Amino acid sequence: MVTDLFDVAILGAGPAGAAAAIEASRCRLNAILIDEQASAGGQVYRCAPGIDAAHADPDREEGNALREALSDADIERKFGYRVWHVEKAEAGFRLHALGPEGPVTITTKALVVATGALERYVPFLGWEQPGVMGLASATVLLKAQQMLPGRNVVVAGAGPLLYAVAKGIVEGGGQVAAVVDAQPRRAWWRHARELASRPDLVKRGYSWMRVLRSAGVTVLHRYALHSVVAYGRELRAIIAPIAADGSPQSGLTRYHVNCDAVCCGYGLMPDTYVTRLLGAAHVYDASLGGWHVVVDEDQRCDVPGLYAAGDVAGVVGAAAAPNQGRVAVLSIARDLRRLNDREFAWHAAADKRVRARAARFGKVMTQIARIGDGAIATLPPDVTMCVCERVQKATLETAIGDGCATINDLKRATRCGMGPCGGRLCEDAVARLVALKTSRSRAAIGQSTARPPLRPVGLDAIAGTFDYDALPMPVPAPL
Amino acid sequence: MDADLRIRGAERGPAVVFRFDGRDVPAFEGETVSAALWASGIRSWSAGEMAGPPPRALFCAMGVCQQCAVWIDGTRVEACRTPVRAGLVVQGRPLW
Amino acid sequence: MSGYPPPFDLAVIGAGIMGATAALRAAAGGMRVLVLERDVAGSGASGVNAGTLSLQIKRVGLIPYALIGHEWWRRAGDAVGFKCTGGYTLAFNEREQALLEERMARKREAGAPITLVTPSAVRAREPALSDRIVAASYCAEDGHADSTTTGRYLRSLLKSANVELREYRQVRSIESGGYGFRMTTPMGPIAARQLLIASGAWTSSVAAMLGVSLPVEVRVNTVTVTEPGPQRLLAGIGHATGLLTLKQKSNGSYLIGGGWQGIGGPDSGNGMIVGETLLQNLRLARFAVPAIADVRVLRSWTGFEAFVADYWPLAGALPGVPGAFVLACVRGGYTIGPCIGPLVADLILGREPALPLFDPGRVIAAENSTNALAPAAG
Repeated sequence: MVTDLFDVAILGAGPAGAAAAIEASRCRLNAILIDEQASAGGQVYRCAPGIDAAHADPDREEGNALREALSDADIERKFGYRVWHVEKAEAGFRLHALGPEGPVTITTKALVVATGALERYVPFLGWEQPGVMGLASATVLLKAQQMLPGRNVVVAGAGPLLYAVAKGIVEGGGQVAAVVDAQPRRAWWRHARELASRPDLVKRGYSWMRVLRSAGVTVLHRYALHSVVAYGRELRAIIAPIAADGSPQSGLTRYHVNCDAVCCGYGLMPDTYVTRLLGAAHVYDASLGGWHVVVDEDQRCDVPGLYAAGDVAGVVGAAAAPNQGRVAVLSIARDLRRLNDREFAWHAAADKRVRARAARFGKVMTQIARIGDGAIATLPPDVTMCVCERVQKATLETAIGDGCATINDLKRATRCGMGPCGGRLCEDAVARLVALKTSRSRAAIGQSTARPPLRPVGLDAIAGTFDYDALPMPVPAPL
Repeated sequence: MDADLRIRGAERGPAVVFRFDGRDVPAFEGETVSAALWASGIRSWSAGEMAGPPPRALFCAMGVCQQCAVWIDGTRVEACRTPVRAGLVVQGRPLW
Repeated sequence: MSGYPPPFDLAVIGAGIMGATAALRAAAGGMRVLVLERDVAGSGASGVNAGTLSLQIKRVGLIPYALIGHEWWRRAGDAVGFKCTGGYTLAFNEREQALLEERMARKREAGAPITLVTPSAVRAREPALSDRIVAASYCAEDGHADSTTTGRYLRSLLKSANVELREYRQVRSIESGGYGFRMTTPMGPIAARQLLIASGAWTSSVAAMLGVSLPVEVRVNTVTVTEPGPQRLLAGIGHATGLLTLKQKSNGSYLIGGGWQGIGGPDSGNGMIVGETLLQNLRLARFAVPAIADVRVLRSWTGFEAFVADYWPLAGALPGVPGAFVLACVRGGYTIGPCIGPLVADLILGREPALPLFDPGRVIAAENSTNALAPAAG
């Protein structure tokens, strides 16, 4: 089915998208909100119907408040719908989606992309073993499913999520075999001023550390996963010391830890698939999580009618997201002439201020959630870099040696990134490898060309019912 | 029923049973197929001769990595985005 | 002072199937050949098409060329993932049946081993096909290759033949004079006595550098790949109208093509998929092979296919520019390239090509005569 023309379509119902939807209702714009999940909240406030938290959780409360506020909004909703293609149309944009009621085509004058962020993975030997998962994945299990990743878990990576997951496991009755933080303890104190802007979050962080200390959890700083191997029915993780640049450091203890799950992740990166598909300008900024879509101060992209809000425009965290969502919709209202310049400036001013303030803290969290390039440079040649297509580091290095200098080149030459995940797991690590081997900038190495479908969709499901005789077959080629 | 991985004290939906590769798997409404498999100790399965990434019940938990893809009613779906329900029949690879 | 390096005997602009096979033949004939490529070998149509090697979809007049080209692919074998699977062309109503029977008869006369088969015979051998087939044809020689391997393969052939290949060398301008041609690239100038433009979708912009206006247009063909599914389809599948190609690769994934049009062009960078058109392509595939319903679509992309209005190749001397040649716009070029590339090289070597070529001058004459017919102003 094809919808009527909306004023605005909002892609993603996380904190940015939900706030945008509420604002659209307030501005009396004809709006539609689309999200793949059954309810709003994105990843940060994700919940499952019928499952309630065992322990008090500020994120759960904020998520509930968001869903509550959204329920009053006078907008169309398409929850459980996967958007598989977005294209420009005469009136604006056309979105092709698939959901519980079948395929739907949504046409809209303006589009707010609020697709949030993806987790950044740094490969290690054995990361494709069952039992290994990301930190964001562990968060989904803990919070939305109220389930432990394991009974005795190694939690590794960098950034605040590391401690959030460890605390969640301990609180949930599990054991944390070790917290493995790539960053030194002092990494946090370097940013004391920005941290001070959010005393509530600092307090929360301290409470996590207290929980871990009481449980006697070992926290290793400047350590990283060397490898994970199957060990009977469980896993054995080797944890090794690293230098500031992420490469192995000799002279310090290596740990061999038996565990039944490993959770590992290195921060978030913007999910730019849709904005890339639409040809918007992107820029690489490590302090904002890597490649992100470029927006002006009114959340406009350089493609007419396209706006972006939340982490997709740079990973600055959930607190800075709702403000961006609101400013994006106010911009749309002004661009559609439902608001004049003065009204826009008045309504948007407060949100812009809050956005700037909140972003400062979020940016610090992003900067802490990283491991140096040495971690990738020193990976052994048989590490699988692209899990989907089982492409090893050695294959990539050979192709780079043969002259592959961009992500797209490597994709063509090795099939790396051509699997079902569309490069979402491996592209960042692979690009870092190219940068190390060729001394080219991330900007020169580029991103992979985005192609539909945005995620795999059933052929039958999107084709729908049709009449063969109604298929518009063009004139056959000359004989 | 492996209660160890499920956090005590959380409210869950009614108990259900679904089938995975011919075995009964206990779960609760609201859980995803991935999470329920995980709690039951089913962390991976054979893909047979099918090409693609090696399957595991959980990696990204967000419908991104596609490694948890399973077959339900002849179509392929992400287990981490599929809610359990009583009588659901899930296969790690297509029946052929 | 040592002076400039000696000019190459032949510079070929474009390292796709056309330029590379022409370059190999020219080198074998004793010429010192340079291939200049704006991106990497096989990055154009040669590397992104659906890989179909079917005699049934070739123009009648090009069948002799296709038969020879087909042999080249067969000999390339595993290096390009060549599979001889046989192929069926299907018709689902009377109109399509008439089209099918008429066309296949003509193609058979031209030498393609195509037979008509009954729908029940088809379904006995390929049970996964639609039960609505009204008529069908079969060619045992049809097959496919993996187009993603083309670039790598061409590069290795050129290297073995000591043909110099310079990638990432977009030609910016071309001067011609008594000495031959001087091309400027981002890495400096190149001189060559003779020139072959084999630039696919970029052919007209390269010819324009020599002041020649070639009315080359570009189709934006959609190709789609699915997730692997159970092995259900052995032969390649086509449609009476030519609007579907469908094959199942050895890893179980399906490749769907047929020339459904996206939008964009070489000037705007990549082509773009048009959602509704993609769906029509998928519906046709689904109708022909119901088994494909079970799988998920993984990725759709576009490739550029150059053509001129009469859909015959441009293969021969570039009009008005002595020493310059052009090879482009070959419909079914993936199959036919390895035949027609060497034929053009023979022409450049001063030999008589074994099969007739296709004078590019005809499209210029056509353009001029069209202009002459334009109504006088006032």
